[in-house]
Amino acid sequence: MQKENLYNQDSITALASPWGESAVAIIRVSGRDSLSMLSGLFEGRAGSGGRGNSGSPPLTEAKGFTMKHGVIRVPGSGEEIDEVVVAVYRAGRSYTGENSAEIFCHGSPAIIKRILDLLYEAGFRHADPGEFTLRAFLNGKLDLTQAEAVNEIVRAKTDRARAAALSRLSGSIERKIRSIKDGILKILAAVEVRIDYPEEDLEEEIVSERELEHWQEELEKLVSTYGIGKILQEGIPVVLAGRTNAGKSTLFNQFLKEDRAIVSEIHGTTRDYLEGVVSMGDIPIKLYDTAGYKMPAHSLEKEGMKRTDRIIRASRLILYLVDASTGVNELDREFFSANQNSKTLIRIWNKIDLSKRPCPVGFFPVNAKTGEGIIKLSEVIVERVLGGRSLESAEPIIDSIRQKKLLERALGALKDFRTGLSENIPLDVLGVDLKEALDALGEITGEVTSQDILNEIFSHFCVGK
Amino acid sequence: MDFDAIVIGGGHAGIEAALVLSRLDFSTLMITQNLDCIGKLSCNPAIGGLAKGNLVREIDALGGEMAKLIDRTMIQFRILNRSKGPAVQAPRAQADKALYALLAKHVLEQADNLEMFQDTVVDFIRDSSAGEIRGVITERGRRFTARTVILTTGTFLEAKIFIGEYSTSSGRLGEPAAIGLGKALRKIGFDVGRLKTGTPARALRSSLRLERMEEQAGDTEILPFSFSNSMGSIDRPSVPCYITYTTKETHRIIRDNIHRSPLYGGKIKGIGPRYCPSIEDKVMRFPDKDRHQIFVEPEGLSTEEVYLNGISSSLPEDVQEKFLRSVPGLEKLVILRPGYAVEYDFLNPTQLYPSLETKRIKGLFIAGQTNGTSGYEEAAAQGLMAAINAACFLQGKPPLVLSRAEAYIGVLIDDLVTLGTKEPYRLFTSRAEYRLSLRHDTADIRLLEKGYSIGLQKDKARQALLAKREGIDEIKELLRKRNVQEIDGDILPLLQKHLGRSFAHALKDPQVHMRDLIFCEGKLNKKKREWLDQVELDLKYEGYIRRQEKQVDRFKKMEDMKIPPDFDYDRTVGLSTEAREKFKKVNPLSVGQAARISGVRSSDIAVLLVYLKRGI
Ligand SMILES: Cc1cc2nc3c(=O)[nH]c(=O)nc-3n(C[C@H](O)[C@H](O)[C@H](O)COP(=O)(O)OP(=O)(O)OC[C@H]3O[C@@H](n4cnc5c(N)ncnc54)[C@H](O)[C@@H]3O)c2cc1C
Ligand SMILES: Nc1nc2c(ncn2[C@@H]2O[C@H](COP(=O)(O)OP(=O)(O)OP(=O)(O)O)[C@@H](O)[C@H]2O)c(=O)[nH]1
Ligand SMILES: [Mg+2]
Repeated sequence: MQKENLYNQDSITALASPWGESAVAIIRVSGRDSLSMLSGLFEGRAGSGGRGNSGSPPLTEAKGFTMKHGVIRVPGSGEEIDEVVVAVYRAGRSYTGENSAEIFCHGSPAIIKRILDLLYEAGFRHADPGEFTLRAFLNGKLDLTQAEAVNEIVRAKTDRARAAALSRLSGSIERKIRSIKDGILKILAAVEVRIDYPEEDLEEEIVSERELEHWQEELEKLVSTYGIGKILQEGIPVVLAGRTNAGKSTLFNQFLKEDRAIVSEIHGTTRDYLEGVVSMGDIPIKLYDTAGYKMPAHSLEKEGMKRTDRIIRASRLILYLVDASTGVNELDREFFSANQNSKTLIRIWNKIDLSKRPCPVGFFPVNAKTGEGIIKLSEVIVERVLGGRSLESAEPIIDSIRQKKLLERALGALKDFRTGLSENIPLDVLGVDLKEALDALGEITGEVTSQDILNEIFSHFCVGK
Repeated sequence: MDFDAIVIGGGHAGIEAALVLSRLDFSTLMITQNLDCIGKLSCNPAIGGLAKGNLVREIDALGGEMAKLIDRTMIQFRILNRSKGPAVQAPRAQADKALYALLAKHVLEQADNLEMFQDTVVDFIRDSSAGEIRGVITERGRRFTARTVILTTGTFLEAKIFIGEYSTSSGRLGEPAAIGLGKALRKIGFDVGRLKTGTPARALRSSLRLERMEEQAGDTEILPFSFSNSMGSIDRPSVPCYITYTTKETHRIIRDNIHRSPLYGGKIKGIGPRYCPSIEDKVMRFPDKDRHQIFVEPEGLSTEEVYLNGISSSLPEDVQEKFLRSVPGLEKLVILRPGYAVEYDFLNPTQLYPSLETKRIKGLFIAGQTNGTSGYEEAAAQGLMAAINAACFLQGKPPLVLSRAEAYIGVLIDDLVTLGTKEPYRLFTSRAEYRLSLRHDTADIRLLEKGYSIGLQKDKARQALLAKREGIDEIKELLRKRNVQEIDGDILPLLQKHLGRSFAHALKDPQVHMRDLIFCEGKLNKKKREWLDQVELDLKYEGYIRRQEKQVDRFKKMEDMKIPPDFDYDRTVGLSTEAREKFKKVNPLSVGQAARISGVRSSDIAVLLVYLKRGI
C-alpha cells in the first residue's frame, strides 16, 4: 500500500470473491463518491423501480440496504457487459462506514475483468490490500480487539499479492519497469545536479535526445503490450480436437484434475464444447474440450462439429488427438491437410497402452487415462504458446489497466519533459515532470525518495567544492 | 539559577541562539572557547547559495541575524541559477571573513540580557531524577546554572585535525578541541558518532598569476538578504573571484601520494560528505575526469589571503604544495595555511524532538554541526529554531515546528530528526518536495508573521509585510484586468498572439516578461521592483504551484494526525519488530513523520492509525 493512500477518501474497488470461475462474483466499491461514480455504468431494470433506462431512479438516489437489478454498460458505446444486482449501502451504515456498494455479477474471469476495468476508467482506484478493512477501522465500524489483525490482513494480502505479482510474467515486467525507472532517475539526477551545483563545469547537454527517445519507446512498447496481457490474464485459448472417442474429454479431465467432462466409450459423447482454465508452467491456459468429428453425422452432431470449428478458429493452439488403437484415418488426414502449414497444431497419439504400433513421427504419445506423458505435453504446449522463447526471456507484458494507466502517466510526463526541454522551460519546472514520471512508475515498483536522487547524483557526477 | 539560558559555543548556531533568547528578554550566557573566534567562517568565505540562500532569508524572516550580517560584510553578490528557474534561484555572497566575525561579535556585545564568557564547557549539571538540565561546568571549574542549555559545539567536540601524517587535537587549525564534553555526553547515554570534513589551503594572493585565470565578477545589482534592507540600499564593494583548473599532472601527483592521505591510509574513521569531496576523493572516484575546477576567492578586503575553493585536501603539506603548483596560475603559489581534515563528535539527531530538544534531557537543546550537519546556514537555522523552542520551553508554550511544506528549515530539521544522518548533512533543493513554494523571495510571506508572534520581529517589519502583500495583490489585480490591446502588440510584437487576453495570461508565456509589460502599462512602472519580480514568478508558475499545492494538502493531513510523545509502542500489538524499534528510537510526533522513517511499512502505519483512532 502506498503510505499516503492511508489517508485518502477517494473511491476504491476490488473483487471481494475469489478470482476464477464461479456462479456469482462480488465486486465491492467504497468511497464518498462511489455511488455516483458507479451510476454512470449501471442501468436499472424492471423491478428496481422502473423499466429500461427511463423509469429507474439512479443509484445515487437508492436507499441504503436496497438491492438494484440492472446491467453494467460501457458508457458511450452502450455495450452491455453483464446483468447484475447491486446492493447499496449508505455512509455510516456500511462495512467501511462510507458510501459503498456490492456488485453481484456472473463469476467469469472475463466479465469480472471487464467490470473492474470499467470501474477503473470511471475513476475508481484499485483498493490496496486490506484497505476496505482499514477504512472500516478508521471509521469506527469494526470493533476489533486486536489491531494485530489489521497488520495480518494487510501484510498477508500484500505478500500474497506480491508473490503472485512476482510469479508468472510479472517478474520480467518489474525488471523492465525498474530499468526504465532507473533510466529516468538518472535523467532527474542530471537535472538536479545542474540545479544544486550551478558552478560546476558540467556538460551543456543534460540528456541526449536519443536517450529520451529510447525511454519513451520503452514505455510505449510496454503500454502496447496491454492487449496481450489481457489475453494472458484470461488464459490462452487451446483446443482439444479429434475424432469421436479419441479421448479428448479424458485428456481434458486429466489436465483439469477433475471430472468435468463426461467420458464414455460411446462415440459422440461430448455434444457441445466445454472450457476450463488450467495453469501450465505458470501460464494460464483456457482449455476447450469439443465435440469429436464423425462421419456420417446427424444434425445434432453436425451442429456440435460446427461449434468445434469455431472454437478451433479462436484458439492459439490445437491439440489433435488420434486414437492409437484405430490409427489415422481419412477424416484425420483431411484435418491435417487443412491445417498443414499451421504452426499451431500438436498431433497427439493417445491410448498408447492399447496399441503395439510405435508412435508415428510428428506425433506426441500419451495415455490420457493414466496421465502418462502429459507433463511432457504441457511443456510442449507452453513452449508453443510462448513461441519458442523461454519464460525468462519472454518480453514483459502488462496485464492490468492500473499498470497501463500508471505507465501512460509516466509516458505523458516524460513527453512533457521532452517538449519542455526543447522549449527551454526552466529546470526546476522540468524536474516536476520527471518526478511525476518517477512517482507513477514508483507506484508499480516502489517509491523513489529524495535520497535516491542524491545517491544517483553523487555516484555519477563529480561535484562539490 | 544564574541564568535563564546558556548557549555553549559562539559559532553560527550559537550566535543566532544567543540573540534570540536575549531578545526575548531571557537572561542568557554564551560560553565559548575563544571570544576572538566568534562567528568565524571556518571554511569558505561565502554565505548563501542553493537552498542555503533560502535558509538565510528564512532565518531573516523569523527574526534571525545572519542575513543582516552578510548584507553588511559582503564583498561580492550573485544570484545563482538565474536561467534555471525561479524555484531554484538563490542568492550568494562572498564575505569579508574578518569583518563578518567582528560584526557578529559586536552585535552580541551590544545585545541586552546577554553575557559572554570565554571558557570551555566540560560537563553538565543535571537533575537526573527529573531528567532535566540545570547548568554547565567549565574547564576552569566554573559552574553556571540555567533552566535551559543550547549546545552548539560545531566541529570541536573531541576533535582531531589531520594533515598527511600529522594529526593533533584541534577543532579548527590553530584552535584547541573541546575535550571532555563528548565524554560527558556519552556517559549520559547519548549516541555519539564521528564525522569528518575538510578545508583547502589558503594562499597569498600576490603569489598567484590571476591573469592566467578566468575572472568571475559579481552581479551589478545587489538583492539584500535581509527583508529589512530595501533594494539598492546595500552599498558594498564588489571584488571578483577567479577560476582555474587542475591538470593531468595535478592528478598524477595526487595519485602517486594517495597512500600518504590520512583518509586513504585509514587514520580517519569519521565519514565525510560526498557533496563536498576532497580533491583526493575526486581524483580517485572519478578517474575519467581530466580536470577539476578551482575557484580563487578573496577572504576579505583587508587581507591578501585567498581561499582555493574546490581542492580541499588532507594530503601532507609538501604534496599539497606540489600539486597546487601544477595548476595554471598557481605555479609560484605560496601557501599561508595548509588544507586539512577535521574529525569530530556529533550526536545522532534522531535523539531530538523536532523542537531540537533532546529526548533524554529536558531543557537541553542541540543545534548546528553537532547534529551532523555542515554549513554555516544550516547551523544558523538550527540555532535560531533551538532558541525559539528553548524560549517556548521557558514560557511553557508548545514548540514552533516548521513543516516541510512551509520552509527549507522545516525540511532540514524534519530530515535530521526523522532520518538521522550518516554523513555530514547539507541541504539541497531536491530534498524539498515542495520547493516551488519555497522560493527565497517569499520567505517573508511564509514566515515573517511567525517571527512577529514569537516576538522577534518588530511591528514595523510586519507593517512592511502587509504593505508588500497588498502591493502584490494590487499588481496581480491590475494584470488580470488589463487586456492585451493592438497598441501593446505594436510595442511588443510578442504580445500579438495574446491579443484580447489578460496581461496575467500573457505572462505565462515563457517568452513574455514583466520587464516588457512595464513598457506597455505605465501603472506597473510605479510598483516596487521586488514585488513585480515576485508577481512574475507567482503567475508564470501558477499551474505548477497549484499542482504542488494539492500534494501539500494531502501531506498536511498526515502531519495533522498527531502522535502523543509518550505513545507506548510496546503495547501496540501488530507492529513489525523493525517498525517498533524505529518508532521507539525516533518517537515521531505525527503520522506523517512516522511514515517518512525509512523501513516503515504501510501495514505498520495502518496499525498505528488504528491505535491512534482508538485513543489507546
Ligand atoms: C575544517 C573545516 C571544514 C569545513 N568544511 C565545510 C564544508 O566543506 N562545507 C560546509 O558547508 N561547511 C564546512 N565547514 C563547516 C562550517 O564551518 C560549519 O558548518 C559551521 O561553522 C557550523 O557552525 P556551528 O555553529 O555549528 O559550529 P562552529 O562554527 O564550529 O562553532 C562552534 C563554536 O563552539 C565553540 N565550542 C565548541 N565546544 C565548546 C565547548 N565545549 N565549550 C565552549 N565553546 C565550545 C567553538 O570554539 C566554536 O567557536 C567546515 C568547518 C571546518 C572546521
Ligand atoms: N485404455 C485407454 N483408454 C482411453 C484412453 N483415453 C481415453 N480412453 C477411453 O476412450 C473412451 C473415449 O474417451 P472420451 O474421452 O470420452 O473420448 P472423446 O474424444 O471425448 O469422445 P467424444 O466426446 O465422443 O468425441 C473412454 O472409454 C475412455 O475411457 C487411453 O489413453 N487409454
Ligand atoms: Mg468427449
